[in-house]
Amino acid sequence: MIETAIVVAIIRILFVCIIITAAYIISTRNLLSVVSVYALQSLTLVCIALALYSLEGSIVLLAIAVVTFISKVIIIPYFIATIQEKIRIKRDIEFHYLNPTTSLLISMALMLVIYMALARIVQGTPARENLFFFGAVLGISLMLMGMMVTFSRKRAITKVLGFLSMENGVLLFGMFVTELPFIIEFLIIIDLIILVILTTILSVGIDSTLEDYHKRLHRFHLLEESEEVS
Amino acid sequence: MILIAFVLVSVLSLVIIAATRSHRQMNTVCITQALIFAALAAYVVIFQQVPVVSFLVGSQYFFIDHLGLFEVLIATVIFACAAIYARGYVEGLLESGELEKGSLKLFYAAWALLLLVIVLAFFSDNLALFWIFAELTTIISAMLIAILAARENIDAAIKYIFVASVSMLFAFVGFIFLFEISRVSLGAGTLNWTVLMQHATAFPPGMMIASFVLVFVGFAAKSGIFPFHTWLPEAHAKAPSAVSAILSGVLLNVGIYGIIRVYAIVRQTTAVATIAPMLSVFGILTISIAALSMLPQKNLKKLVAFSSVENMGIMLVGLAISTPIALFWVLFHIMAHSFTKASLFFSSGILHRQYRSRFSSDAADEIRDVFRLQPLAAWGIILGGLAIIGMPPFPIFFSEFFILMQLGAVSLWVLGVMLILLFIAAGGLGYFVLTTFTQVSEPKTSSDIEPYRTPASMKVPTIFLLVLLLVVGIFLPTSGMEFLNQIVTELKF
Repeated sequence: MIETAIVVAIIRILFVCIIITAAYIISTRNLLSVVSVYALQSLTLVCIALALYSLEGSIVLLAIAVVTFISKVIIIPYFIATIQEKIRIKRDIEFHYLNPTTSLLISMALMLVIYMALARIVQGTPARENLFFFGAVLGISLMLMGMMVTFSRKRAITKVLGFLSMENGVLLFGMFVTELPFIIEFLIIIDLIILVILTTILSVGIDSTLEDYHKRLHRFHLLEESEEVS
Repeated sequence: MILIAFVLVSVLSLVIIAATRSHRQMNTVCITQALIFAALAAYVVIFQQVPVVSFLVGSQYFFIDHLGLFEVLIATVIFACAAIYARGYVEGLLESGELEKGSLKLFYAAWALLLLVIVLAFFSDNLALFWIFAELTTIISAMLIAILAARENIDAAIKYIFVASVSMLFAFVGFIFLFEISRVSLGAGTLNWTVLMQHATAFPPGMMIASFVLVFVGFAAKSGIFPFHTWLPEAHAKAPSAVSAILSGVLLNVGIYGIIRVYAIVRQTTAVATIAPMLSVFGILTISIAALSMLPQKNLKKLVAFSSVENMGIMLVGLAISTPIALFWVLFHIMAHSFTKASLFFSSGILHRQYRSRFSSDAADEIRDVFRLQPLAAWGIILGGLAIIGMPPFPIFFSEFFILMQLGAVSLWVLGVMLILLFIAAGGLGYFVLTTFTQVSEPKTSSDIEPYRTPASMKVPTIFLLVLLLVVGIFLPTSGMEFLNQIVTELKF
């Protein structure tokens, strides 16, 4: 068993990693690297889950780590990268309303607000350890930063990545605030995968003209060849 | 066992849809599925002791109580009507090439799956499970919107998915809060609605407010409450009309249902003193935004969609009053609104087929000679419009009347604002009907519009729903009232 103090220190370092990845997703214009940074962020979450497991020994955390690794570090990034290659968008330079610098400033402000708000809410309940409180703050911040990405980017495929990063925030929050039953975490991931598949397929449609879209759908074998309908 | 029956019927429907190639067969399967579902729900209502305890049902995951049954009954009736309507409507879509023949299978598979997921959502005791099913309904119904593969449909579907799913993540954080609340006060964490209801009085109000606000964000987006209503007019206007009816008549109910369930928990704590005014503010804002958007609206389907937003606002205000009588009429309003709105979308779908070549789903409608070309749809819109603005003897009159009466006991000022807003909304609908339905072309030039021969399968459900509304409105069956009273008792109002 590793010493508790070291594990806590490791978790703190991983927190910093998460903030860096979130800031990168908000500010970068290069689409392919957003996907790999997302995979990295999920990997950081897996590490945090493992570190928490060594701290608390709850088997649910281990299960979460495994499922997150399979789905969010491997399957989803791979799927999105494949689609991206097919539709050949490398950069997403169009932003609605917010440019990256403003977004970063806003997210800093958000973190501060969330810190204060959560501190007020938690006040009444039994005092929690510092680390868990920070985890919750970070989870919500990550969620709101993801939401900013979802609503400030124009391309559907970047929106999906913002949504995914939001969901990472929810997972982080869930891990630190309470011990959710594993089945719930698992169902969320199933939901996530379906959503990612659907939105990326639809985004193929958005990012191309209509005739093109049908050709592409045929290429992906998503649409059956026209059948005789009586 | 009853839950297994629902799942089995759906699996069977999916298998047949996958196996067949004919549109008629797929359609028949969907009609049959909805009818069997309705029969199963009716069987439970009549012959079983509610809340039902059998295999899986009554465990920590699923339960069947009066509220769930009520919603399922509404959903199945509308699904059955919409499936019958789709028989003629989808045929038309295929002929005009708006729907690819290859997507037909996907369309009906999603349709059958959507009904199952909705029923499971209404029977979920575990709130997280309910959340998952509600989220799945978003995704599946977005598929039904995007199926037309026109660019604007995909746009609308993507907007719907992102607004709804992003908000639903907030709802999930709210449920995590709720779980933590129950863990602190009960020892073991749970998201079981029945358990939460039993122990709600012990929950700390501060945490409950935080939890409810987050949950509210999620389900407000699902039911089109301001400021999360932005997806709704687009999605409802661009979906195929059979799907619009389901979106408006059933899927919005999923959101309101979630709010009602969680509000029932909150109501037992002191947090309700903060939450109830918040709900009423959002309700009023929703009604005003919808009413003001309805006034200049020139597109029929968008007009009807905004009217849904307005009605969701009314339900929210009714809920905020939180007296047993107000809740009773909110439930009644849910049913009345669903049936009326489905019928309105059916009628506008017929007009959409008739005048389709002349307007895209965004443009103003160029409706001419409507009484000569589509007399049924025109009367459907007029009668449905009278029903939705709350004219007697249609049922919405009663629900709005009693909700307003209850509101008057709380605050006369709010009542006044509500009345003005409802009047504006009614004016918007009336103005649209008066300006568009009276346009008649000169007798000699009228030959350029071919009348669309409306199939009987599109007429029957439209008429059926209107007749059903009239019957409910005139007779107000006592057994139904008794049923609603039981829901109110179960929600501990």
